[in-house]
Amino acid sequence: MGTDGQEGRMSRLKIAAITTEYRKYSHTQHIVDRFLEGYGWEGRHHRPEMDIVSLYVDKRPEGDLSEERAERFPDMRVYRTVADALMLETNGLAVDGVLLIGEHGDYGLNEKGQRLYPRYELFKQVVAVFKASGRSVPVFNDKHLSWKWAWSKEMYDISREMGFAFMAGSSLPVTYRTPQIEFPYGAAVEEAVCVCYGGVDSYDFHGLETLQCMVERRQGGESGVKWVHAYRGDAFWEAFYDGVWSRDLVVSALCRSHTLKPARPGFNHTFPTVDEMKSLVEDPVAYVYEHVDGLLCTMLLMRGLVEDFNFAARMADGSKLSTQMYLPMPPARTTLANFFSPLVNNVEQMFLTGEETYPLERTLLTSGLTEAGVDSLHQGGERIETAHLEFSYMAPEASTFWRT
Amino acid sequence: MKRVAVVSTIYVHLKHTQHFIDRLLVGYPYGGEWIRPDVEVVSLYVDQRPEGDQSDDRAREYGFEIYSTIAEALRCGGDTLAVDGVLIIGEHGAYPSNEKGQKLYPRYEFFKQCVDVFEADGRSVPVYNDKHLSYSWARAEEMVEDSKRLGFPMLAGSSLPVTWRLPDLELEAECEIEEALMIGVGGSDAMDYHCLEAMQCMVERRKGGETGVKSVQLIEGDAVWRAGRDGVWSERLLEAALSRCDSPKGFPDEDGRTIDLFGSGELQQRVAKPAAYLIEYLDGTRATLLMLNGGIFDYCFAAMLKGDPEPVSTQFFVTPQPNVNYSASLVHKICEMLETGVSPIPVERTQIVSGMLEACLDSKMSGNQKRETEHLRVEYTGTEKPQHFCS
Repeated sequence: MGTDGQEGRMSRLKIAAITTEYRKYSHTQHIVDRFLEGYGWEGRHHRPEMDIVSLYVDKRPEGDLSEERAERFPDMRVYRTVADALMLETNGLAVDGVLLIGEHGDYGLNEKGQRLYPRYELFKQVVAVFKASGRSVPVFNDKHLSWKWAWSKEMYDISREMGFAFMAGSSLPVTYRTPQIEFPYGAAVEEAVCVCYGGVDSYDFHGLETLQCMVERRQGGESGVKWVHAYRGDAFWEAFYDGVWSRDLVVSALCRSHTLKPARPGFNHTFPTVDEMKSLVEDPVAYVYEHVDGLLCTMLLMRGLVEDFNFAARMADGSKLSTQMYLPMPPARTTLANFFSPLVNNVEQMFLTGEETYPLERTLLTSGLTEAGVDSLHQGGERIETAHLEFSYMAPEASTFWRT
Repeated sequence: MKRVAVVSTIYVHLKHTQHFIDRLLVGYPYGGEWIRPDVEVVSLYVDQRPEGDQSDDRAREYGFEIYSTIAEALRCGGDTLAVDGVLIIGEHGAYPSNEKGQKLYPRYEFFKQCVDVFEADGRSVPVYNDKHLSYSWARAEEMVEDSKRLGFPMLAGSSLPVTWRLPDLELEAECEIEEALMIGVGGSDAMDYHCLEAMQCMVERRKGGETGVKSVQLIEGDAVWRAGRDGVWSERLLEAALSRCDSPKGFPDEDGRTIDLFGSGELQQRVAKPAAYLIEYLDGTRATLLMLNGGIFDYCFAAMLKGDPEPVSTQFFVTPQPNVNYSASLVHKICEMLETGVSPIPVERTQIVSGMLEACLDSKMSGNQKRETEHLRVEYTGTEKPQHFCS
């Protein structure tokens, strides 16, 4: 670990972890453990060339692991405030990078059903130290920026104004794909879907990131989103029948699933009719949205039918592109949530180089889309105009998903 | 539409016959589409009907006949061969095991009854044989000889070589392999067979192609770790294979942590009875299968290629129940053979693996002694194009 001797420490980056809670299978455990314990990567048990030197945990639920980890990794000290974790008992910023992991923990819900994780609040405390110190360092924010658009945008703006590298988002864009395909850079696309599972203000974000990491590579780059329209329950099935989104693309996506629930007992794998889907899916939700350049995207939560994230697109030349963003998910299928490994690897690269490996605008957009989807549902399935999401960006050509 | 006969041990939910034959009946996902293969199951022979037998239900619903003998199934009740292909699925069912722990599935017996029909009727059709050819080398060899003598294509083997790989690693044809290693779990002679075949589908791509196996040895217990320290198998390759593992046991189960399973010594603690299947090929290449029950729950491969400082590695992805999508890949290969009349994968792969496995179990029975395997001079080359799930 390079923890013996001052010399080793001097040459290694110091990272602070600002988190909500550290327990088995919380995002903090998945991410921070990979820095502390290392992880399997490209033929080695890879140990990041940096040390987590400080940990802030906002909550300590039953099963809290922070003390156990701090004991085994004495270079990581637990601090009582965010500022202390960043300053390490000095007068200013004393770390080279910040992990901000505000996922999981007992936080309240608002009237729209959004879990009020304090990512914005924690971020602001980090930035306060940056400002007081006249210096800033790279930050990684796990999942979406904030549940509130204005706060997401402020987080984005602050990072641009102060000029520090800031990455955010889900592991879906960087995990393994079956098949291992990339969206062809600069290709024209007409429509895309993601068929996935989970709940609102939770896995919807992952589904949106699955879509966005692909379509942002299209001809002309990302142009922003004009409107979002959410469907739930009976309205979902009406929209399904009406062809609001392409049924053909849903078929392609379902044909990439490894977990398509067989509707008929005694069979292991059948393709469901719509009636069978209706009997299997609990609480179906779709977010349909149109990009400024006319691309139509739909994120479908079909819990009960699948347990994975499947992407399909119809390209302008009539061909179809489909894949699964594969999550080795514990505890049912694996013991490790190794989709966090490529996420941590990208973050490590940012800490080492000071450069973002993929665009923050992706997660700014998906943060806004998640909120717009929630708003649309909250307003009984009204279409939400999203002038605030009409911003453009260009994705880099280089692939950043796990393929080596 | 190709008409096929199915010759099976049992037809029970989530057993091999159900996985494979249902895909012909209801379709399967491939290339992002739900494929309805141009294949019609017209007849079935089923050797045993345990509780949960589905054969009558399927026959009624999908309109095929069940016959009481294999010859009748192949002739569809008539007096001459009346199908375009035969699928032999002799996996699962109540059959005895021999002293080596091999389950005595009647694949050879089933196959020979098919060959009898081919010979009597003067016509042969493609045959798929699920899993290894036979528990006995002599029988496996005879099966392949029959197919060559009568000139019918034969596909066999495991789904592991054709499943998804994480990441999507395919070795270059004619690559120079210095050493290879596979890790896996499960019982013998079911899962060790799958692992050996997964390893073989990679190793067969080496320069000069497959020329045969010179010797095998199966060692167990602490001797496995000692052999690693002595360089009999490569500890570096074990680290590489483990780096692809999503299911290390022990601490990850307890609190979710990642772990350097081998470097920390945990693997050696957790695996009460490791086994190493040491394979030495005639061209000098070495390959080792480590069965690590209790330590992991994945199937991973690593190899050192000449000129590369770092090994290559991947996981053979055993996709979840009940879909077990990997079987869709193998069914697609069967349909390809029925369509083209050519097996997309050399049957010699399964032949040599059948013999390797038997020889390893012989080594185990003879006090873990090394066994010279002059009989395993099987020559073939791997396929030019990848045959696994990759598109």
